[in-house]
Amino acid sequence: MLLVSVLLVGCENGHKFVKKTAFKDTDKMVLTFAGPVDESWASNVRNFSAYEEPDPDIVLTIKETTLSPDKTQVTLVFADPLNTGEAHIISATNILSEGQDLGAAVLTVKKLYIGVLMTIFIGAALINNFVFTKYLGLCVFFGTSQKRGTAVGMGVVFTIVMVFAAVMAWGLYQFVLKPYQLTFLNVVVFIGLVSLSVQGVDTILRKVNPMLFKAFGVYLVLVIANCIAIAVPLILADNEYSGWESFALALGAGLGFLIALFLMACVRERLELAQVPPSFRGLPIAFVTAGLFALAFLGFSGLSIY
Amino acid sequence: MKEIVKITFALTLSCVIAASAMGLTFTVTAKAKKHNHLMSVQNAMMDLLGFGEDHPAPSDLTFHNVYRYIVKDGGKKFLGYMVPVEKAGKEVYEMVMIDLEGKFVEKLEVPISEGQAEEAHDRASALEKVLPPNQFFTYADASAVATAGGERLGYVLPGKFPGFRTFIHVLVAMDPQFELLGLEIMEHEEDAGLGAEIEQEYFKNQFKRKSFEILKGLEVVKKPMPQEYKKYLEKSKWVEGMFTEEQISEIRKQYKASDIHAITAATISSKAVTDGVKNIAKKFAYRIGKLDGVLEEQDIHAAF
Amino acid sequence: MSTTMKSNTQLFMDGILKENPIFKLALSMCPAVGISTSVMNGILLGTAVLFVQVFSSCTISLIRNYIHPKIRIPTYTLTIATWVTVIDLVLAAYVPAAYKAMGMFVRLIVAFAIITMRLEMFACREPLGKSFWDGLGMGLGFMFAMIVLGAVRELLGSGMLLGYDVLGFKPLLFFVLPSAGFFVVGLMMAFFNWIEVAYNRKKGV
Repeated sequence: MLLVSVLLVGCENGHKFVKKTAFKDTDKMVLTFAGPVDESWASNVRNFSAYEEPDPDIVLTIKETTLSPDKTQVTLVFADPLNTGEAHIISATNILSEGQDLGAAVLTVKKLYIGVLMTIFIGAALINNFVFTKYLGLCVFFGTSQKRGTAVGMGVVFTIVMVFAAVMAWGLYQFVLKPYQLTFLNVVVFIGLVSLSVQGVDTILRKVNPMLFKAFGVYLVLVIANCIAIAVPLILADNEYSGWESFALALGAGLGFLIALFLMACVRERLELAQVPPSFRGLPIAFVTAGLFALAFLGFSGLSIY
Repeated sequence: MKEIVKITFALTLSCVIAASAMGLTFTVTAKAKKHNHLMSVQNAMMDLLGFGEDHPAPSDLTFHNVYRYIVKDGGKKFLGYMVPVEKAGKEVYEMVMIDLEGKFVEKLEVPISEGQAEEAHDRASALEKVLPPNQFFTYADASAVATAGGERLGYVLPGKFPGFRTFIHVLVAMDPQFELLGLEIMEHEEDAGLGAEIEQEYFKNQFKRKSFEILKGLEVVKKPMPQEYKKYLEKSKWVEGMFTEEQISEIRKQYKASDIHAITAATISSKAVTDGVKNIAKKFAYRIGKLDGVLEEQDIHAAF
Repeated sequence: MSTTMKSNTQLFMDGILKENPIFKLALSMCPAVGISTSVMNGILLGTAVLFVQVFSSCTISLIRNYIHPKIRIPTYTLTIATWVTVIDLVLAAYVPAAYKAMGMFVRLIVAFAIITMRLEMFACREPLGKSFWDGLGMGLGFMFAMIVLGAVRELLGSGMLLGYDVLGFKPLLFFVLPSAGFFVVGLMMAFFNWIEVAYNRKKGV
């Protein structure tokens, strides 16, 4: 709860006297000042005007304002629910504090960026889990989920390669492919980057930690055959994600894949000892299990932490 | 050493050949893609306005595109509308700048033809030539005004808003009194069988013929839809003699002011579309009102 | 492997039945589960994969004597990626509505292990003719599997086939939901296994 409230605070604003601005509930905004403000100023609705940043000509109706007992917080209550996904601009005229006119202020109220990143991260890991909700990376998934050790190994290696490849993909897309209108080369460039990342991680791991390489090295080759590895760069190009958003997406995708693999491995280890009908042995029963997991993960689909 | 040179040469050569093959395909298909996209949007617009095989459009039906920009000059913001204007028998584009309260600021002629104006890139370069260097503009949206026989037939507005999954792109058509003529879902990523049902007639057609006043207060209700209403909405499945003229007008009157019935198990998608359409309609009605006021006051002969 | 002894027709039929990529080899399953929700999707993606498989096999077969062994895999990847981009651009331009139904899956063909595997095992050492038939067989096997899956899911999920109302009602919406893809593929695999076991038993193997 505390985390959520911290995430809701936007810290950008344009006046020294205004400490912070935030959304509250679905139809309120809270302005926190560095000192007490005059009640006569704070209670006059006409001193404030608000609009959504992309629509500066549409003025939002403020129903009323309330002042906190210690006079440092003004809450603006709006007539209609606010579209908190957009940044809002508030103009406050001539702030009166203890009789002094501190001038006008133009403030921005928006959700904190880290909240946006968290949404993408949790989205990629749970809500839009790449294996159970998007049905990608299945070949590798079924191939390496028989034992828990293998599963974890594959998941970790994949996350590392994914993060490298995604950040490079973002860089190349924003600075080379888009400006020169070469976006039709997306597919080739991205798969090339994935191969490069695999090669890079291979070389680095070999030199830096041979022990780790012996344990995980064999999974590196499989990353290239993993649909998720090419899906993540394509998604971040299509949605025009920024650098940090791409990082969050790659991390979330990798983590989601790891979780999926681990859960599946736990179940499959038990299935080895169960009485499975002959036709179902091996892959078919694994598929049915995955289906059950997919149904379970459907439960995440309404999750919205921010 | 020779090996590496050979390998590098072979790889580079293959990359170049591959890139040229793809580049060639791209140039050939890009034109077809743009054409197909334009045709599908045009067809959707005609369909929304009520024209089709059994109700052909008038021969002088034209769509005039109005492009809206937000112009920043120092700390102030203005709305800039690129409006097609009739000047000496020809149609040129003029940039009409209005301040945030709706008062006229200035107008500038933009050297661009109607066809060129459809390309965002061309519009941007033309505007850059006309606006002073201290003014920055960002593209907001476009609206189409349909006219025939010198009268306005209606407005077709593209819009985008967040749905349950990602964004939903729609095309909304309104008549000159802002009554909703129709709604078309252009793009979405909702779940098949659930949110994707917004494409179905029994959901979309509920918005048809809702007057502006009713639209402004439209809500979504989670009640099951009466069978008779559903059959009426699924116009493409009508059979001969299913409804008499009387029945049609009865049903229309009965449901004219009713709220939107949500899709089973897809309330969020239904609400997203309803709120999205409401916002698009309200904002457009407000803005075109201000624009028309300025056009009349400044005696600008818009092509509509 | 006695691949050189197989006739062209046998290569072709193997790709569809005995070595069916989805049901037997269990490769390229992502689209099988993800978008096999209708017969139309199956036909479209099947065509795309067929195109990429056949053209890649033929390209690699043509240049098999010029590929430096050390850059084998990058060459395969480059070839596949090129053909995938080509078919992606063509589909997006000429059948936009259907292309959108497939989302990202056309571009994901580049990561299909089946195609790379086929190139590695077959096309890089066999002449053009044989490579063509092998590629065709594999591609058609994939399309066949996708169509069967699509038919089952579309019929049971929305009572339709190819968009035509066959049953007139929707038996179980569940089948159109993505998670059902796993169940249906699993059941079909078991079914194929069962058929093979019964067939072998009859033959006295």
